[in-house]
Formats: sequence, C-alpha cells, structure tokens
Amino acid sequence: MPEENKVYTIFDRPKGLRFIGLLQMAFGAVGLLATIGLIVASIVGSPELPGGIGFVYAALVFVGVAIPCLIIGNFVDDLRRNAVIAQIIYSLAAMGLAGLFLFLRGLQYIWTVPLFQIELVIAIGNLSAFIVATQAFVILYLILTWDSAVPPAGAKVIRDRGEARRYEQDLVPLPFTPAVLSSDGVTELSDDESKHVLEIRKEYTVEGMAVLCSNCGGATPLTKVERNRLKCDYCGVTLGVSSVFVPCENHPEYLAATTCAVCGNHFCRKCLTAQEPPVDERWAGSTIFMCRKCFEGRYRPAVTTTSFVVPIDKLFSTAGSRFSSVGRIYGRFLGAYGSVMKHLWRVPLELLASLGKSGGGSGGDNCVGALIMIVIIIIAIPILAGILLLVGAIIIIPFLFYAGLIAVTFEAIKVIRKTDFQSIDTVRIQSIVEKKKQKQKQSKMRPVTRSWESDYERIPSEARRRQMEEHRRSEEERRKRIYEDRRPAQTFWGER
Amino acid sequence: MTTEVDVISCPVCGGKVLIESDDKVSHCGYCASPVLGPDQSRMCVNHPGILAKEVCNVCGDLLCEDCFEKRVGDYGGKLLTIVNCSKPSCVSESEWAKSLNEEYQRLANMDWADRADNIILRITGGGAVIMMIFELFFILGMLYMQYFTSLGSLFPQWTIAGITIPGLPVIALMIMGNLLGALLLQTSLQVFVHDRQFTSGLLLLFLVVIESAFLLWRGLYFNLRQLPDPTFLLVLLTAFIIGAFLILVGSLGAVYIGNKKRIQMNRAKDKLGLSG
Ligand SMILES: [Zn+2]
Ligand SMILES: [Zn+2]
Ligand SMILES: [Zn+2]
Ligand SMILES: [Zn+2]
Ligand SMILES: [Zn+2]
Repeated sequence: MPEENKVYTIFDRPKGLRFIGLLQMAFGAVGLLATIGLIVASIVGSPELPGGIGFVYAALVFVGVAIPCLIIGNFVDDLRRNAVIAQIIYSLAAMGLAGLFLFLRGLQYIWTVPLFQIELVIAIGNLSAFIVATQAFVILYLILTWDSAVPPAGAKVIRDRGEARRYEQDLVPLPFTPAVLSSDGVTELSDDESKHVLEIRKEYTVEGMAVLCSNCGGATPLTKVERNRLKCDYCGVTLGVSSVFVPCENHPEYLAATTCAVCGNHFCRKCLTAQEPPVDERWAGSTIFMCRKCFEGRYRPAVTTTSFVVPIDKLFSTAGSRFSSVGRIYGRFLGAYGSVMKHLWRVPLELLASLGKSGGGSGGDNCVGALIMIVIIIIAIPILAGILLLVGAIIIIPFLFYAGLIAVTFEAIKVIRKTDFQSIDTVRIQSIVEKKKQKQKQSKMRPVTRSWESDYERIPSEARRRQMEEHRRSEEERRKRIYEDRRPAQTFWGER
Repeated sequence: MTTEVDVISCPVCGGKVLIESDDKVSHCGYCASPVLGPDQSRMCVNHPGILAKEVCNVCGDLLCEDCFEKRVGDYGGKLLTIVNCSKPSCVSESEWAKSLNEEYQRLANMDWADRADNIILRITGGGAVIMMIFELFFILGMLYMQYFTSLGSLFPQWTIAGITIPGLPVIALMIMGNLLGALLLQTSLQVFVHDRQFTSGLLLLFLVVIESAFLLWRGLYFNLRQLPDPTFLLVLLTAFIIGAFLILVGSLGAVYIGNKKRIQMNRAKDKLGLSG
C-alpha cells in the first residue's frame, strides 16, 4: 500500500537515468547530423550513393535513429514507464543490429563518407562495438534500477523541478536552514554569528524548569514566559509555548515540547525523533514525532487485544530488497523473454518452411539470403541480450548479496548501540554545525511507525465488552473520589 | 503587555506558528503541534485551577486528567494515540478511533524488563555481529587459499556429472555459513521484541548449536588443521568462540525473561477474559 501512495519526484530518479537520457539524445543528434549529411551528399551527387539511394538511407537513419533517439531520450529520464520500456526495446534492437554488423563485418570495417571536399573516415566497426557496449549498459542499468526508474503504474510523479523541490521540503521532517535564525525568526545569521550562539548557549538553567529552543537548542527558564511566549535567552527567537504543560517524561528539568504520536506521552526535544507522517488525510502534520520507546517499537497502544509491537521486522526483506528486486526483475525479464522468444522463433521458422515448400531455387539466392538475414537478426538480438543479462546476473547478484549482508551488519550495529535514534535536538544542532540540511535518514531496520492490521481487526468478545464497561464505571468513581479531595495543582512556573 | 511579535516559532520543529485566536490553541503550520494562544489559560477548561494535561484533537480545548478520553486511531494502518474531550460533538467525531484499553495497557506493561532486555540485546547482538564478521572473513580467507595459493590442494573437490569445478565446495559451504550467520543476526535482534523474545531465544539456542556443529565439520572437512600457518585458524576460532559464547548467554537470558513475559501476558488475558 505505501508503494502506491508514495509520490515520486524528479529527485527520486537514479543518477544514471539522466545520463542515459543525455546519451540517447546524443545518439539522436548524431543521427540527425547523419541524415543531413546523407541528404547533402545525395544532392551534391556523391558517386558512393548512386541514384536515389542516398535519400532512402537518409530517411532510414532519420526514422530509425534520429527520431526515436531524440524522443525516447527526452522522456526516458522523466520517470516514465513507457519511455523506459521503449528505451529497453530500442536498445535491444540497436544492440542486436550493431552486434550483427560486427559479426558480419568485423571490428576493422571502415566507411569512407564523402563530405564536401573532405573524405570522412568512419570506423564503423568500432562505432558498432561502441553502440553494443553502451546499449548493453543502458539495458542493464534500466533493469537493475527498475524499481526507482519506473514508478509503479498509477503512482503520482512530480516532474516539475520547482514543484518537486517544494514537495520534498514539505516531507523532510526538519526543513529548516542549517543556520541559526536571528531574533526575528526569519533571517539567517552568518556562520560566525551562528557559531557564537552555539558557543554561548547553555542546555541547563539554574532557575528551574526550562524550554529548549527549537532554533539554537539553548535552555531558557520558564519563569520568562510572557503571554505564553518565550524569547530565547541566546538567539532571541520568540518561541510559542507548547499546550502540553507538563515536564518531559525523561527530563523533569525541561518542559515537554509535544506528545509522542504513538504512546501519547509528553517529551522534550531531546527525547523525540521525527519521521514521515502516515499516509492519511486525517493526519494534519507533515511530520510525526515519536519517543525512543515507540521508535524502537516497544510500545504499542492497546485497543482490545494483545499489543506488542513488531519492530526490526522485515530485516532482510528491506535491507535485502535490492537483492531480491534484482532477482525478481531478472525473473520477470526472463519470463517475458521466454514468451517473446516463442513467437520470434516461430516467424523465421515458418518463413523457412514456406520457402522450402515453395520448391526452393525459384526464389533465387538473394531472396534466401535476405530471409536468412532476417532469421539471424530476429534470433541474434534476443540471444545476445539474453547472454548479456545472464552474465550480468552472475556477476551482479553475488555482489549485491554481499553488499547487502555488510549493510545489514552495519545497521544491526547501529540498532545494538542504539545510535539509530536521532532526536530532533541533535539533528538540528548537527545541521548547524555541519552547515548542511540534514537528510531524512530512516533506519532500514525499523519500519516507519508500525502497523498492526491483523491484531487491530480482532474485535472484543461479548464478555469482554461487559467487563470493559464495568471497569469504566469503577474507574469513573475512582476519579470522582480523587477529584473531591484534590486541591488545585501547584504550578512550577507561578500562575500568570 | 509585550510588544507584538510577528513571527512565533514552533517550540518543536521551529516552523512558523500562525496565531489564529488569542485564547485558543493554534497549530504549527508545519508539524501541526499545538501551541498556546497568547492569552490562553493553561488550566483545564472544565476545572479552572487544575492544570491541563492534554488537548482535544477536535476542538483544541485544554483538558485535565478527568476530562479526556484516550483513543487509538488507525492512521493509514498505523496506530496512533489521540485525545478527545467529552463534548458529544468531539466524541462523535472521534468515534472512528477505538478507546484505549488502559487496564490492558497496565497489565501488559513490561517496563520492568527494559534493563534486562537492553543487556540481552547487546549480548546476543554483539555475539551475532562477531559471528557474521567471522563468517565473512572465513569465506574471504578460504577463497584466497583456494584460488591464489597452493593450499587449495588441501580442500576436497566435488565432481558433478563428470565435471570438477575448482573451489565449488568452498563456495557452496561458505555461502551456507554466511547465510547461517545472517540468520543468527536477524534472530539475535528479535530478542528485543517483547512477544518474540521467548521463541527467538529458543531459536537462537538452536541456531548457535547448528552453527557450531557446521563450523567444526567445515574445519575438519577442509583439513584446516593441516594448514602450515595456524594463525588463520586460531584467530577465527577465537572470534567464533567469543561470538558463540555471547549468543549462548544472551539467548538463555532471552528465554528466561521471555518466559516471564509470556506468563504475564497469559495472566493479563485471563483477567480480562481475552483468550486467543
Ligand atoms: Zn534559541
Ligand atoms: Zn512514545
Ligand atoms: Zn512545528
Ligand atoms: Zn473537544
Ligand atoms: Zn478537568
């Protein structure tokens, strides 16, 4: 479900995709030049291009190379499913043709093209080898990065860079500039001024409970709250005061900043981490804050039934997802490959058979030769691609497997050392010190808040419902009793 | 009266807070955390004099312990806690979320085990990481000996259908070792999950026995005792013994604590008439 709901932006595309797009456009440009060259040569009346054959060649190059390369190249790097499929098919065809050319003419084959007064020597054999290599790379790359190059069908893709940037900024939990803001809360301080604020700020106060500044991390005593606002002692930013007027669960010396979304307890900035929000329109915020316990998945709110969280759940399915997705793509490819092959084999074989039936000889050698060519082309392309993919698989799969194992080990060490929890306070200070916006990094070992669909579905029994009702009533009475002998609360900051 | 300030920063994320009303809770424009209005009282709306502890998720009223209900809302498959006040409109708007079962929550609380769980996680996890690294070095060392030194002649060969692929036993058996190491690592992290602690402790015990037997057998099968330089063997053996010992100790602890939790859960279920 999250896969379909995920919105893809142009920044999600794998880096090589842009390169492939440019490469393809370059081929298109070369094709266009070649077309023009051929037309010019034909008009001038080159002896190498007798009759109108130059125009035929020009049309072929234009339709077969320039147009498809330019069109596909333009779209393939935009996270478009059809463009990527078209690119793979085109690359396979180009690779097959060039490979066939190499097979027939060898690597040393050279064309001499007349261009005005100059003779242009094109090492067409080398060019073919280059095409085979680059197209093989293109195919392999697209298939390996399939999951990121091709968003799932129906997924929303933001291709406009400006819009994508806005979207990305809204999703990163802490979107703010990696500099301390000045007291107006808007303009950034210079590096030196930022550094100065960080140096003078203190994280503790002697004047009782404090609020941690979301700008500089400094602690300002609550006694300075005026009209539910607090001017930070160090950076001067005006902070709002959280509506939850209770101390942090772990730090009695700090006012809680907000509640943990999962357990509902109140925590300060040092105890909360930020994650992407759930995909649900009822959730208003662009971020979800969680305490360490909920982040580790040890707490889970009980509705009716057993309520223990499933953390570190799909350890290998996430960390090894790359590996398995490659395997899946190969499987998918080989499946499609097999079914296409079935048809491809049939056509030339039937042609040959019909040729045999028609008595042979009569069609002439040329006709047979052409048909054999067709057969070779049709068979050679898929076989070549298939061999290439298999070789790629033999090298790439073990490599990915071991890379995955090592990555898993590193993640496991983080989990064991408990360093995968990053509080919003540390992230903020880190981003100022390192002068870069903190990337949203989420542990691969920990799912982004847990889901408990199966348990949630279970409904309480009738007996259980009665018991709950009873319990609720006794609880109500207990509360009433407590309230009757309770005096107004003493506040820690003096009544306003 | 303080001078008007134009920008109020969110105390949680630093985003801008637009104050919509002076005596009502406003929300951060970015993270939606509630922030008090400038003239808002911090007391419960129903009980002036008692400090508020929660905010109603519908109307934004401040509430004390006696005035709120906690609910568990399913947000896109994720269970999050929300709070609502007792006004009928707010209750009906929160009805989609189920009431939090506080009694169950109390009976099933396992905070008592936190310290022990942390220690167990570190022991089993540390042992499993050592094991994993050990297996990675083992395969590298074996591959090196097989293909780059003459020591490969010590290792047995497999002949399948008349074809002998050099190093096939090394590759196959060592990859199995790596997989076993990965399985150990995964299981060793599961001991931190309350309701899996018991079973993963048992599984870990079983796995560490299998791994030890498999390792000893591999050592004998590949004639590693006949290596001219015993350093490789000694280093690996030491790492292995430390790792296996840690996992053994940790998994015994996990079984012990996990069993206690099992008993606690069963009692809680019995008490609340929850079965199955
Ligand atoms: Zn500050
Ligand atoms: Zn929590
Ligand atoms: Zn905020
Ligand atoms: Zn309400
Ligand atoms: Zn109240």
